[in-house]
This record gives sequence, C-alpha cells and structure tokens, in this order.
Amino acid sequence: MPRHPLVALLIALAVLPFAVTALGYTHGFATEIALFAMVGLGFNLLLGYTGLLSFGHGLFFGFAAYAAALAQIHFFKTSLLAPLAAAVVLTALLGVAVGFLVLRRRGVYFSLLTLAFTALGFTIAFRWTAFTGGESGLRGVNRVALAGLDLDNQLVFYWVVAALVFAVAFLVWRVVRSPFGSVLVAIRENEVRARFLGYPVRRYKLVAFVVSVLVTAVGGAMFTFLKVFASADPVHPNFSGEILAMSIIGGAGHFLGPAIGAAFYLVFREALSAYTSAWLFWFGLLFMAFILFSPSGLVGLGERVLAPFRKRREALASMASRVKPDPGQEVPAFLVPAAPPGAGSVLLEADRVSKSFGDFLAVDRVSLELHHGRLQALIGPNGAGKTTLFNLLSGLFPPDAGRLRIGAAAIDDPTPERMVGLGVARSFQVTNLFQGLTVFENLRLGMQARHPRRFNLWLGKEALDDVNRETRALVKFLGLEGVEEAPVSSLSYGGQRLLEIGLALTARPRLLLLDEPLAGLAAGERERIVAMIRVLARHMGVLLIEHDIDRVFEFAEGITVMADGAVLVEGSADDVQANAQVQQVYLGSGRAVVAAGAAHAQPGVARPALLTLEGVNTYYGKSHILYDVSLEVRAGEVTALLGRNGAGKSSTVKTIMGLAPPASGTVRFAGEVISGRAPEHIARAGVGLVPQGRRLFSGLTVAENLRLGGLSRGGAGGVHWDEARIFGYFPRIRDKLATRADQLSGGEQQMVAIARALSGNVQILLLDEPFEGLAPALVEEVFKSLDQLRKEIPILIIEHDLDLVLALADRAYVLDRGRISHEGPAAPLLADLELRRKVLWV
Amino acid sequence: MIASLIEQILNGLLVGSYYIVLSLGLSLIFSLGGVVNLAHGAFYALGAYFAYEVQRRLGFGGAVVLSPVGVALVGMAIERCFLHRLYREDPMLGLLFTFGLAMTAEQSLRLVWGTTGLNFSIPDALRGQLLLGDFIYSYYRLTVLAITMLAVTACWLLLNKTAFGMIVRAGTRDPEMVRALGISLKPAQTAVFALGVALAGLAGVLSAPLAGVQPAMGTEILIAAFVVVVIGGLGSFWGVVFAGLLVGVVRGITVVFYPPAAEASMYVLMALILLFRPRGLMGEKFEKFE
Repeated sequence: MPRHPLVALLIALAVLPFAVTALGYTHGFATEIALFAMVGLGFNLLLGYTGLLSFGHGLFFGFAAYAAALAQIHFFKTSLLAPLAAAVVLTALLGVAVGFLVLRRRGVYFSLLTLAFTALGFTIAFRWTAFTGGESGLRGVNRVALAGLDLDNQLVFYWVVAALVFAVAFLVWRVVRSPFGSVLVAIRENEVRARFLGYPVRRYKLVAFVVSVLVTAVGGAMFTFLKVFASADPVHPNFSGEILAMSIIGGAGHFLGPAIGAAFYLVFREALSAYTSAWLFWFGLLFMAFILFSPSGLVGLGERVLAPFRKRREALASMASRVKPDPGQEVPAFLVPAAPPGAGSVLLEADRVSKSFGDFLAVDRVSLELHHGRLQALIGPNGAGKTTLFNLLSGLFPPDAGRLRIGAAAIDDPTPERMVGLGVARSFQVTNLFQGLTVFENLRLGMQARHPRRFNLWLGKEALDDVNRETRALVKFLGLEGVEEAPVSSLSYGGQRLLEIGLALTARPRLLLLDEPLAGLAAGERERIVAMIRVLARHMGVLLIEHDIDRVFEFAEGITVMADGAVLVEGSADDVQANAQVQQVYLGSGRAVVAAGAAHAQPGVARPALLTLEGVNTYYGKSHILYDVSLEVRAGEVTALLGRNGAGKSSTVKTIMGLAPPASGTVRFAGEVISGRAPEHIARAGVGLVPQGRRLFSGLTVAENLRLGGLSRGGAGGVHWDEARIFGYFPRIRDKLATRADQLSGGEQQMVAIARALSGNVQILLLDEPFEGLAPALVEEVFKSLDQLRKEIPILIIEHDLDLVLALADRAYVLDRGRISHEGPAAPLLADLELRRKVLWV
Repeated sequence: MIASLIEQILNGLLVGSYYIVLSLGLSLIFSLGGVVNLAHGAFYALGAYFAYEVQRRLGFGGAVVLSPVGVALVGMAIERCFLHRLYREDPMLGLLFTFGLAMTAEQSLRLVWGTTGLNFSIPDALRGQLLLGDFIYSYYRLTVLAITMLAVTACWLLLNKTAFGMIVRAGTRDPEMVRALGISLKPAQTAVFALGVALAGLAGVLSAPLAGVQPAMGTEILIAAFVVVVIGGLGSFWGVVFAGLLVGVVRGITVVFYPPAAEASMYVLMALILLFRPRGLMGEKFEKFE
C-alpha cells in the first residue's frame, strides 16, 4: 500500500468504478461511495482530529441537498456549478450559526446538542412541505452538461465527482497537516493546556466545525445531482448516525479511516440487503463488537493484524537514552528579551485580589508584586490558597474582587489566552501535557502559538523553520535530547515534569509561574531543575510554589508565605525562616491546646500491632509517592503520621484503604493481608476512614450519611455505633439528623464524618486532617471526643497542627518525601520544641 | 379558544408525562453509570411490543406490570454482559455502544414482529370520556396521567426513602467514598440500569394504545427524551419532571397557535434555555462529561 494517503486515495478512486462493476453494481454506486468517503473525511476533521463527536452532519448534508435542488429549480436552471456554490455558501452560514451555539458546550453535551439540532431540522424539513416537498421530496433536478461533458452518463459523472472528491480530500489533507491542524489535535488531547499555550480554542473549534460542514455540504449538494432528487431522509437523525458509524468502523484515528469505513458500510449494505432486509441488524452487531474490541476501527484492526510483519521503530522513551545536558548552558536565545526591562521592575501586580468558592474564601485580598529577574517563592500549608492564587494570576478564572495590573494597565477580564499574550505563562502541579503526542510536538505546538504564519494552510506544520529551530534549542536546554520522538505517555515522571516546565517556556514568558516543579522528583533531578530555574530567573520573573521548603530557603530570592488565603509574611529567606509566625504555622507554638491533658495509653505495656505496613511503595501513574514505607498501629494507641505537605501522608491512608493500591509491599490488618483487595472489602474487614475534607455525601441528610456507614459493614466485633452512642459523643448532631450534610457547619460535618466511619463494624479508625478548618471551640470538642475514643479503638491520625496531634498521640511517624524519616513516642516531640524543629523543620 | 387551549395543554401534559417517565430512566442511568443510553428508545419500543404480547393473554393491567419487568430483565443481561465494562472508560464509548445497540434492537423488533406496525387498541375498560360540562377528556388519558404520577412518586420514594436509593444518590456524588464505607457499587449499577430501562418500557406500554406499535417508535421519542433531560439538567430528578411538563405544555400551546411548529417547539425551547443556562434548568456540574 502506498505510504501517502492521497496517493492511496487517488488509486482507489481510479479503480473504484471497475471494482464496483466487477461486483455487479452500477457506476452510480461508485459515485455514492466516493461522495460518502469525502463526507467521512470532512466529518473526521471533527471526530478524529478535534475530538468532537457530532450527531449533526446529516443536517448539513440534507440542507445542502435541498439548497442545491432549490437553487437549480428556482434560479439556475442550466447550471450545476452555481447551485453547488450557492448550497455550499448557505450551508456554511448555517454551520456558523449552529456551531456558535453548540460549541458552547463540550463532551457529551456537545453531541446531544448536535442531535437535537438535527431533529429540529428534520421536523422543519418534514413539515414545511410547500418549500421542501415534505414526504415526497423535490423532483426536477437536472444534471445539466458541464463544460461539454454529458453528465447523464453515469461513468462521466463519476469521474467529475471523483475529481471533486480528490480536490476536497487534498484540501482536508492540507488543513490536517498545517499548523492549524496541529492545534486541533492539541485541543483533542488537552483543551485546557491548549488555552494556556495561548490558543483561543473556541475560535479554532468553530473554524474546524465550519470546514467540516463545508465538506459535508459539497457531499450533500452532489448527492442531489447524483439522485436528481432531494428529500428529508438525510436530515433524519439516523442519517447522521450512519455518517458517524462509517467513520468509527473505518477508524477515526487515521486520515483515510472514514473513507474506508464509507466504502465498507455501503458495500456491506448492498451485499446484505440483497439477502435480508434486516442487514442493519448485522451491521449493529458488528458495530458493537468494534466498540468493545477495536474502538480504532478497521484501520486499527488492520494495523494489529499487520503488526508482526512490520518493522517497528523502537520508541526511544527511556530517560537513559537522553543526551546528558551541559550543566552550565545558557538559556535559548528566544527566551532572552530583546529589550530587557530594568532589573527589579514590576512585571505583574496583584491588587487585593480575592476569590471564594461558595462560602469558602480561598484567596483573601492578596497583594503581590512580581519583579523581573527575581526568583520568588510562594509557600504555606495545605489549603493556604497558593494554587488558587496561581489560577487567578494565570487567568483561569477572574478574581471576585481586586485587580491584576501590568504596568499602569489593569487587566479587566483575564483569560488564559490573554495572560499568555501578556507574557504570563504557567506550569501545573499535576502534569498537564498532550499525552498522545511526542515530546517534540508538545513543545513545537507551544512555539507555534505566536508564529505569524500559523494560519497558513499551504504550509506543513513541520515547515516553520524558525519554530523547529527554537523547539530544538528548547529540547536541548531542557535536557530532553534523545527522547524528542517518544510519546509523552512513555516518558518517565521526571521527564514529564521537565516537559511541563518546557511547555510554559514556549510562551516566551516575561513572568513564569511554576506550580510545584520539584514535587515527586528524585534528589538528582531536583538539583537539575533548581539549577535550570535559577538560570531562567536571570531573564524573567519567576514565581514558584514549592513544598520542599528546605530547597526554597536555599535558592529563592524572596519568599511569600500564605496562610488561610491571605499573605502572612513576605521577605528574604532568613527573615521568613526566623519569623515566629511562620514557624507557628508549620510547627505550632507548643501551647497547651486543651485544658485537660489527654489520657495516654499506659507506657511500658506491650501492645500487639493491629495494622502493619511493610516496605510499601505506591505510585500515582508514573509518580513514585511512597518509598518503602513501614509502620504499625498498635491496639489501644493513637498513632500520628506527620510530615509536610506532599510528604505522602494522605497517600499512606489511601494505600491502606485500597484507594491507591501499593505496587509492592504488604499491608496487614488483624493478621490478614489486605493489600490488593478492593476498598469495599477492606472497609468491611473493619477499617473506618474519615477522609480529608470529610467527603460527606452532599444532598443526603445527616441520618442518611450515618446509615450508609453501617449498611454493609455489619459483622461482629469491633466498635459498632448506634444512634444513642453517636449522640452520646456528639450531642449536637441529634438536632441535625434531617439536615442536608452540605448545610452543616465545618465542625458538625467533621463529627458526622467520624460518626459515619464508626457506624459499622470498625476496628481501626483512619483520620485525615480531622481538625482542618474548625473553629477553636470545636477543635476542643472534637479533640475530647477523639480522646474518649482511644479507649475503644486504635487510631491513625494525620494532622498538620502539631500541638494538637502530639497532645493526642502516643507514638508518631514522620514522613519526608515519601519516606519514613523518624519514628518514636509522641511525648518528647510535644514537650521539646528544639527536637520538634530538628525532626520537622528545615 | 380557551377551551381548546385547555384541551391542548392537557394533551401537552399527557405527552409530557411520557417524556418524564422516559427521561427519568435516562437521567438515572446517566447519573450513576455515566452512560448516555442511546438505546433507551429501543427499550421503550420493546416495552410496547412486550405489552402487545402480554395484553393478548393477560389484559392491559398485566401488560402494565409485566412488560416493564421483561424489559428490565433484558436490560440487566445487557448491562452485566457488556455495558459494565464501559463505565470507567471514556463516556463516548458508552454512547457509541448503545448507538449500535439501538440499531440492532430496532432490527430485532422488525425480525420478530414484522416491519409494519401492530394495532393496539385502548382496553375496553378505559374507553369512554369524562364529561365535565363542555369539557371532555378520555378515561385512558386520565389513566396515563395517574400511572405517570404513580411511577414518579414510586421512583422518588425508592430514591429517597430506601437504602438502595441512598446508595444510588451517594454513588452519583462520590463513588469512591461509597466503596470506602464497604458498599460495592456494582449491584447498584446493574439495578439502576434495569430500573431505568423498565421506566422506558413502561412509557412504551402507556403510549402503545394511543400511538400504536411500530419498530421505529423509539428513535423518534428518544431525541425528545434527551431534549427534556438537557432542559431539566443532567442528573436532576425534579429538573426532569419539570422539564417534561414544560415541554409538553409549550407543545400544547403551540398546537393552538401554530400547529406546524408543535414538534419544533421543544428544540427552540432547548436552544433558548441553553443560551441562558448552559447546564439546564436545575443541572449540576459533572466534570467528566464536559
């Protein structure tokens, strides 16, 4: 088979009429195949390339068919080209209008909306009989002569159509290969990130939609001339479904897939309908089988069959095949501003910006100035509002109050595209790349975003020489040479983090926002990325969020500390490190939190371990989160799990619960191995979870939340709280049983979450941040309840307020970057602030 | 004028009640499993055909009860064998699979019961009209309204007053947390699919005496049901009920003033609502479907 799809198509079109007659069909049938193949190619511009599943192409096909017929009947009786042109133009206008409406939504909503518009179109076509002929359709269409060719000869008409189909396919191919087409693929892969590269994706999608409609319109109009008749059939939703089915069966992932699918579908229909009127029954079965077993269609099936006979290029994905970067290298030339602003000049100013979600004030009147050539760090405990502030600065959503300013100009309606255009680019905490594309293509897409010739359809995307050159320079700078052609999904986690920063750099930022660039990386990789950020900060402003505060104190030139949505302190590393308020946020003050001391377990008594973790390693995707974690929770004790944000505390709890199953190591509970079991089985074995953020079922009442806790965890033994007992511990819940859980105060929610976890056969309680966001009076109340509970049930608790948790705990483990770095009794850590600093501070 | 307006509004309510029963099932399946069930119309048609068979033997009352049960059993088998594999995948795959299922199902109906429609007459006991002064309304239509109300009430009770309903509602919000409380979601997912298609089947039974029984009956009403769900908001119980009535009434009013636009009215309504409330009247945000 020829490599180039257009050559393959050309050969297929040349052979088609002969193949079709050999099978005993007419030349008209060949024309039909060619037309539907073309419509499939246009449809696939949306489905395969942009990732939009439309149920509405029948509407445009049918509309164009009517338009061509009516134009010829009423205005251009002796022409074929004029009605064709009129039909295409009118359908394009309809496409713009419909596209504008339906593209307001994405995903499944988009599909349903296109379906509804088709249904609307069908009703109109069917009812408006005066205009469309209703059920009987429109007759009186003629294939008039074109340039001396007798189009009433079916074979001549076929060649004319084939030429047209090839011309249109050539156009679609140009679009697909152009810089514009590469952006459509980016939108399919990751729409949000495409916006953060600076692409106005709504406009791109609308253009793709209209181009796709244009191709369909050509098909519809020519179909009228093929049948010399127009009817409401194509507007029926079933017809849209047929176009979809052809494309899927053929294979939406390949340029020619839908064309192959169209031929297959039509031949299948002709062949089977000779024997049975229920040929759609067999087709439906086949279609379902494809969805279940080969969603990539016939092309995907063919590739799988041929795979053993083909030589495959080995993807060079391992980071080992990387060329080691030169450690002292300078930044690529394109990142150096032509006219650098004066050192220390203000790049972006946030003026008392606020943002709340519901009742929760995430960012509270934060003012911030970011300077050229300065490396500023943003730190603070979990929930301090750091990422929300990033989202505000990068335009993901506008602030509720306050302003962003660049120079003297206020930015009224910040969007990602606009902020990128103004030189503010960001990376993401959770890797946010174009997973299906290669490393080079990821970066190239970014570099292309502001190239003056990015809309040129006559250029291949790879023909932008300056973009390629700059991309290669960036690849080298990032140290990703040698893996450029590997798909991102095969890249190691460290490589993906590098690429995450690289994508932000493609915007040639004046201000670079980095959200936890070091998270989840091994020591060597951290060194390298820190060195890279330092070099970058000579040429631009950098603001980074980082939990690894040891590192931050080493290399940041300025530090902003946030707590509870507001800026707590701003200053140099030394200032911040010595600042009492900051230490208090991270370490507590050593104050006695509750009047009555906790009733600790008797010291010196040997207690059996109920829950043990041995050498547990856990990954999220490629990110290694827990390294050989071993710990035990003993009967009759409260065990605390301490450590900074991102150290792996919540991941440990999720691993125990089976929500993030360990890759290696074992979790034992009451003598049984529970690692590898489903969460519901682990819960039924007697593990009760109070997750971070409570996760009560909103919309359900308190009583229902409690009942769900006990529903499947009958079983004997363990604690099993009935209502009386719950009210004994938490009297204030009694009046709230009929209240919806989301309408409770934070403290009440916490009590319900604990009670819910205990409303079944429970032998161990896992508590993740039970005091988070509680008012002081409630903290004391919950503390006392937990102190009571210790007599009944062993507890593993995660809590960032060290004064509280150490007062409660008998023993403590400290996690540091996924490893246990300290274990021992809790009392010394409670009393001795110096020891606490040593174990938990910088 | 007023009399015909009232009559058409009542007729609109009747149409609306089919939509409600159908759309509630669609919405339930979507909320818990995340599957946009394009085969819903096929189950509706299947309900009507089952009713045709049952009525001949056990009368209309038997059909109302047994036909939805039969549809539920078919749905359960399909969910267990195929559909449950697609819950965790891209929602597009569920949509495409049910699209193929709809195609196959409609053809199966043709193979078994023939391509032409079947006659299905109003049961004798429900023939006749209610006369209130000038106002006339058929007993059968009243019965349909009553059964719809009963079905909606039963659904509401099931979802809000039973343990099963609690699991479904909780699973819609936070499936992971449901499992962390020891509850497996699999049986609930199967049951919800069965319940959803049973409702479609019921709507099919109720519409059969008025609209007749024919293989393509599902395709037409399916789109209307989606429109109702989109107007009401995906995942919202009262949103669906309200939208069903609204669509019915708007249709009734259009019939009085400009009959040819009756069918188009709901699409126009939908376009308007989506312009101003993109998530529907009472819809909530479901991240994975956006």
